[in-house]
Amino acid sequence: MTERGSSDGGGTGGGGSRAAMGDAVVVARDVTRDYRRGRTRVRALRGATVTVSRGDFLAVTGPSGSGKSTLLHLLGGVDVPTGGEILFLGRSLGGLTVEERAALRLHEVGLVFQRFHLLPMLTATENVELPMAAARVARRERCERAAAVLERVGLADRLDHRPGELSGGQCQRVAIARALANDPSLVLADEPTGELDRATSRRVLTLFQELNATGTTLVVATHDPELAAGAGRSIEVVDGRTRP
Amino acid sequence: MLARNSIRELRYRPLRTLLAVAGVAVATAMLADMLMLGAGIQRSFGELLESRGYELRVSPKGTLPFDTEATIPGWPGLQDSIGAVAGVERVAPVLAMSLGVEEEDGAPGGSSKGIRMLGLGLDAENRAFYAPVEGEGPGAGQVLVDAGLARELGVGPGSSLRLTTASGFAGWGRNATARVSGTGDFVFATRRDMPVAMPLADLQALSGLEDEVSFAMIRVRSGADPEAVRAGIAAAADRVEVVTLAGIAARVDERLSYFSQVAVVLGSVSLFVAALLIGTITAVSVSERLGVIAAVRAIGVGRRRVVGDLTAESVVLAVVGGGIGIGLSVFVAGYLESILADLPGLPAAVSFFVLQPASLLTAYGLVILSGAAAGLVPALHATGREVTEMLRREEP
Repeated sequence: MTERGSSDGGGTGGGGSRAAMGDAVVVARDVTRDYRRGRTRVRALRGATVTVSRGDFLAVTGPSGSGKSTLLHLLGGVDVPTGGEILFLGRSLGGLTVEERAALRLHEVGLVFQRFHLLPMLTATENVELPMAAARVARRERCERAAAVLERVGLADRLDHRPGELSGGQCQRVAIARALANDPSLVLADEPTGELDRATSRRVLTLFQELNATGTTLVVATHDPELAAGAGRSIEVVDGRTRP
Repeated sequence: MLARNSIRELRYRPLRTLLAVAGVAVATAMLADMLMLGAGIQRSFGELLESRGYELRVSPKGTLPFDTEATIPGWPGLQDSIGAVAGVERVAPVLAMSLGVEEEDGAPGGSSKGIRMLGLGLDAENRAFYAPVEGEGPGAGQVLVDAGLARELGVGPGSSLRLTTASGFAGWGRNATARVSGTGDFVFATRRDMPVAMPLADLQALSGLEDEVSFAMIRVRSGADPEAVRAGIAAAADRVEVVTLAGIAARVDERLSYFSQVAVVLGSVSLFVAALLIGTITAVSVSERLGVIAAVRAIGVGRRRVVGDLTAESVVLAVVGGGIGIGLSVFVAGYLESILADLPGLPAAVSFFVLQPASLLTAYGLVILSGAAAGLVPALHATGREVTEMLRREEP
C-alpha cells in the first residue's frame, strides 16, 4: 500500500481538518471480494486494508481493473466483502441486512459517479432532494437544504435547470450536491472527473478541497494524477491489494 | 411523489408515452366492448321481454318467437284450455305473416308504391308490440303502421292501404283495404321488418288462417309462480312449446353463444396485448435507466421505493390509456352496434352492446391491474440485480 500521509495519525490531513485515529469513519481490514463470472471465480480484492478518518481526503489510485471501484463500494456498504472486515462508524457492515446497509448509505454515505446518474426529468433541486425524500425529510426542509447545498457547490443560479440544460461539470456538481444532501459522514466519488475536460476537472478538485476544508470526509477513486495529487493523501490499489 | 415522478418520467418521453397510451386505449376499448358484447344481448333481450308485461310465451314446437312463420292450428280450443290453467290471467294470441302493402291513393291518377312487410294480427287489448306515435290503435278494418313504414309510404292516420298476403302462404294473393288508424314503434320488429298491426280476426280473415295463430303471450296472475304455470300449460297443451321469459332469453343466448365465446377470446387477447404493451414499454424504459436505477439504489433508496416508482409509471400508463379506452369503447360499441343490428331474426330493440357501468369498470380495473403486474415484472427484475454488478456494467 502506498499511502501519502497516514490515517493512523502520521499523514497530512486534507484541508488540515484531519481527526485523530479514534475518529475513524470507516476501517477496512484485510478485505477480500470474490465475484462469479459464469463458472469462473474472480478475486477483485485480495486483502485491502485502509482506514478513513473524519476529515480525510483520500485518493485511491491504480490501473483499470485493479479493484478501486470494488474497494469504494465496500467502504460505502454498497457491497459486502467475501472476507475480512469493514467497520463503518464502529459497526461491522458484514452483520447488516440489505435494508440496514441501504439505510446506512442513505444517511451516512454520499456517492458520486463518473456518469453522474442524475434523473433527467428532475431539476437540479429535485435531484438533490431525492435522497432527502427517501430519508423522509419534510418537503419545505428538503427545498431549503437542496438550495443551500447547491449554492455550496456553486450552482445557486441553476436550481431549476434539468441535467440536459447543464454542462458536464455542472451535472457533476449537482451529483456532488446530491451526495451531500443528507449531510453524510463519508462522500465516495468513483472517477468523478472521468467524463470531464481538464479545466472542469480542476474545478471539481477545487470543490472537493473546499468541501474537505469545511469538514467533509472524502474518498475518491481516480486515474487523474492531478486529482490524486490534490487529495490530502492517497493509496494505490494494484491487483486487488492496497500497497504502500 | 411516486405518481408525480412517474408522470414526469412519462412526459419526458412524449412520443413513446403517446404511442403506449394509444395502444393501451385501443386494447382497453376492445376489452370493454367485448365485455359489453358478452353480456349485452342477454340483458337487453331480457329487459325487452320483461318490459312487455307477459311472463310466458306459447309457440309452435321447435321455433323461436321471432324467426318463424310456423303457426299453431286449432287455436280457439287451445286458447280455452290455456285460459283454464290455474294462474293464467290473460292469453294474448298473435298471428304474424308477410304482407304486401301499397298505398291506395283515392285521387284520380294518384301513384301508389308497394312494399313487403310484416303483418301482426293482435287482439284489441294487446299493446305489448308497439308504442303509439300518432293516432290510435287499430279497430276492425284498420291498421296501425310502423312509423318508419308510414314515412316511407307517405301515409298517416286516415290514409288507406291495400294489403296482400304474400306468396308462400296458403291463400296467398288475397287482398283487403284497411284504413290507417295511427303509427307506432314496434319493439320486437327487426330492422328489416316494417310491421303493421291489425285486429287478429282481420288478419286471420285476410290470410284464410281463421283458427291459427303464430304464438301467444301469457300473463301470469300476481303471486303465481311462472314456472308452475308454464308446467300447467305444457300439460294441458302438448302441441305447443311453453317457455318462460328466462327460457326465451337463455335460448336466444344459446343460439348466439358464439358471440359470447368470441367476446371472451377477443377480450382476453386485448387484455394480454395491453399488458404486453405496458410490460414492453416498462422493460425498455427500465433497461435504458439501469445506470440511474443502480445509482439511486446505491445512494440508499430502498428497493421497494424504486420498484414502486417504476410500477407507478405502468399504472399511470394503464390509468390514462385505459380511461381514454373506456371513452373510445362507447364510440366503437355504437359503430359495431349499427353493423350487428342488421342481423336477421332479432328485434331492432335488442342491443348487442349494452352500456353497463359494471362492464366498463371491470375492463378498466382489469387493464390497470394487468398494467401494474406487467410493470412490476421488469421493475422487480431490474432491482433484483446486485447494485455493484449494475454499476460495473453502467460505469465505464
